[in-house]
Amino acid sequence: MEIGFNAEETRFREECREWLHANVPEEKRPLHAADALEFDKAWQRRLFDAGWAGINWPVEYGGRGLSIVQQVIWLEEYAQADAPWIGANFVGVNHGGPTLIMNASEEQKAYHLPRILKGDAIWCQGFSEPGAGSDLAGINTRGRIEGDALVVNGSKIWTSFAHVADWQELVLRTEEGSLRHKGLSWVICDMHAPGISISPIRKMSGQVEFAQVFYDDVRIPLENVVGGLGNGWRVAMSTLSFERGTGFIADQVKQSQEIDELISTARANGKIRDDRIAGELGQMRAEVAALRAMTYRNISTVIRTGQPGPESSVIRLFTSELGQRLERMGVLLMGSAALDFRYGDDNIVHDYLRGFAATIAGGTAQIQRDIIAERLLGLPKSR
Amino acid sequence: MDLTPNSDQSALQTATADWCRDNMPLDGARNRPEHLWRDLADMGWTGMTAPGMGLDHATEALVFAELGRELAPVGLLSTAVAARWIGGDARVALAIPHEKLTRVFDPQDCASALSIWGNCAGLLMLPASLDTETGLDLSAPYATIALELVPNPLDDPRAALHLQLLAAAYGVGVADAARDMAADYAKIREQFDRPIGWFQSLKHICADMAVRCEVARSQLYYAACALDAGGDDAAFHVAAAKRLADSSALDNGRANIQVHGGIGMTDEAVPHLCLKRAHLLSFIAPVDTKDLLESAA
Ligand SMILES: Cc1cc2nc3c(=O)[nH]c(=O)nc-3n(C[C@H](O)[C@H](O)[C@H](O)COP(=O)(O)OP(=O)(O)OC[C@H]3O[C@@H](n4cnc5c(N)ncnc54)[C@H](O)[C@@H]3O)c2cc1C
Repeated sequence: MEIGFNAEETRFREECREWLHANVPEEKRPLHAADALEFDKAWQRRLFDAGWAGINWPVEYGGRGLSIVQQVIWLEEYAQADAPWIGANFVGVNHGGPTLIMNASEEQKAYHLPRILKGDAIWCQGFSEPGAGSDLAGINTRGRIEGDALVVNGSKIWTSFAHVADWQELVLRTEEGSLRHKGLSWVICDMHAPGISISPIRKMSGQVEFAQVFYDDVRIPLENVVGGLGNGWRVAMSTLSFERGTGFIADQVKQSQEIDELISTARANGKIRDDRIAGELGQMRAEVAALRAMTYRNISTVIRTGQPGPESSVIRLFTSELGQRLERMGVLLMGSAALDFRYGDDNIVHDYLRGFAATIAGGTAQIQRDIIAERLLGLPKSR
Repeated sequence: MDLTPNSDQSALQTATADWCRDNMPLDGARNRPEHLWRDLADMGWTGMTAPGMGLDHATEALVFAELGRELAPVGLLSTAVAARWIGGDARVALAIPHEKLTRVFDPQDCASALSIWGNCAGLLMLPASLDTETGLDLSAPYATIALELVPNPLDDPRAALHLQLLAAAYGVGVADAARDMAADYAKIREQFDRPIGWFQSLKHICADMAVRCEVARSQLYYAACALDAGGDDAAFHVAAAKRLADSSALDNGRANIQVHGGIGMTDEAVPHLCLKRAHLLSFIAPVDTKDLLESAA
């Protein structure tokens, strides 16, 4: 066991740091998805041109083909440099792309992967439905095979960035009368196809960042099915493993910045003299440190065994709840000034309100606890 | 960077776990055999930290977590620290000072006791004969003495961190033991015609126990490596490891009793042994909140 980095990794870290220092945009990322689109695309293009998009993606699809440790180093430096959240590119870069790398045909990969990395194609995720959230196997949106196409009818909801997306990872029921996990397919849906309509939904933080999507006889070519008709559940599970995986490396650095800011705020306004507040800040600083240790341990396991193991759900759950406690402390330290919050403010109250997503999106905290108890501890399955 | 045990470390970890399970099981913690200390010494656990053994803190942390899981004597902690920083193979008791009283744990056959005064580890000479009694932690007999002697501070400030790290490792072991006990029981105990672990309210208690273990163990590994690397941040990381080990051992100790229902709070059953050990550990090299807020991370 050791926590040091080798010479090549240290050199790589310095390279990352230098480039980010010179290139991180001065202006802030706009808050609403539609306003942020051009910003997100331009930033992704800049990353790609300089060779920082897809650090560990295969070289033939525009990536760098580097190690997972280098990917971690990049993400750490990225957060340290206060570089902007990748926003609209999140789905494509963090789980659409990786799902394609693992499951798609050569043509699908060759077409889509470079476009994702360059920021030319925005992706969204069409998994959840009004009647199928935590219970993803309850999917009801249907695709009827007609000649060489699927004709799709139904609705998806909470689709982040739907109203600015070009493509969607869409999971639907392609086998008439099939139940639960069977008869589903994972398809690439063109968001500009006729028959798709989108109604944006406003969040309690004021942002318009997700939407409900309606499909009315939308034709999707059969060649857009990924991983074979009827194999949608398996492919969707690989998407979720990516979605629940990588995002947390950057969070760990962000949270270490947050806790140090909270401590200085509490010192400045004297609230640190309250033993309960000091105690909680101390505990959270220890937990933020543990999060890095846990991430390193998880990555070491991946390198050693080739797979992350069910501990990923532990990281995911712990990160989301720790983040929310940090945000709550931020609001507590603000006192009644928190009441002045208005839609469009970009501050700790905004982060606090937006942060409720952390224990809902991508599988709720309750679902993560089920996974931990069943897969890590071997308790009986409830579902 | 590699925060998983290498093959030598894993082998030692497994060997320790196996020996402890066979010779020092948790359920016998309130009534340890007379010859236990000799057995521990024969296995090398009492002298493994001595100079010349070349053992790093990372390996120590792994071994002590296994020892802690079966509620090994707390005197092993003080003996290990004394062995590394003073040398020799003498058995050393563990002292917890409190105002004008000092409680000395596992004092049998010990000429001195180790403790932390302020931020410094020190040694206290013990009177020739001490009568022991059993308190909250049934596995840790202790004597009470009036603190008249001034402890002899050890030269090296790292000794205090060493004790804190090993006590954290014990705490991680306790948290693990409580988690496993709860999960095992949840698989076999049936109510409403199914194992209680089927019910989410219990399942989620167990999941939270698993999360606490992962968090505390990860920070333990990091802290041990930071101590080996000798950087400025070692003091913070060790303090963080101790704080998380304390809280996970206590919280898991409580949760384990709840998962066991009525039997969980009986004297005859063993869940209370974990909880009581967790309370004792929280007084050994305790963390001052200042150490968490002020030192470099
Ligand atoms: C900000 C945000 C962005 C999102 N983006 C996307 C996206 O881009 N694409 C997409 O497909 N989806 C997206 N989602 C949807 C998200 O995946 C779902 O909201 C989530 O899976 C929960 O489903 P639900 O909202 O239907 O809640 P429900 O499943 O109805 O859950 C309601 C409550 O019941 C609990 N519950 C449900 N089932 C169980 C159970 N078996 N045991 C215990 N408790 C249970 C839940 O934990 C929750 O507390 C997003 C959500 C948010 C908040």
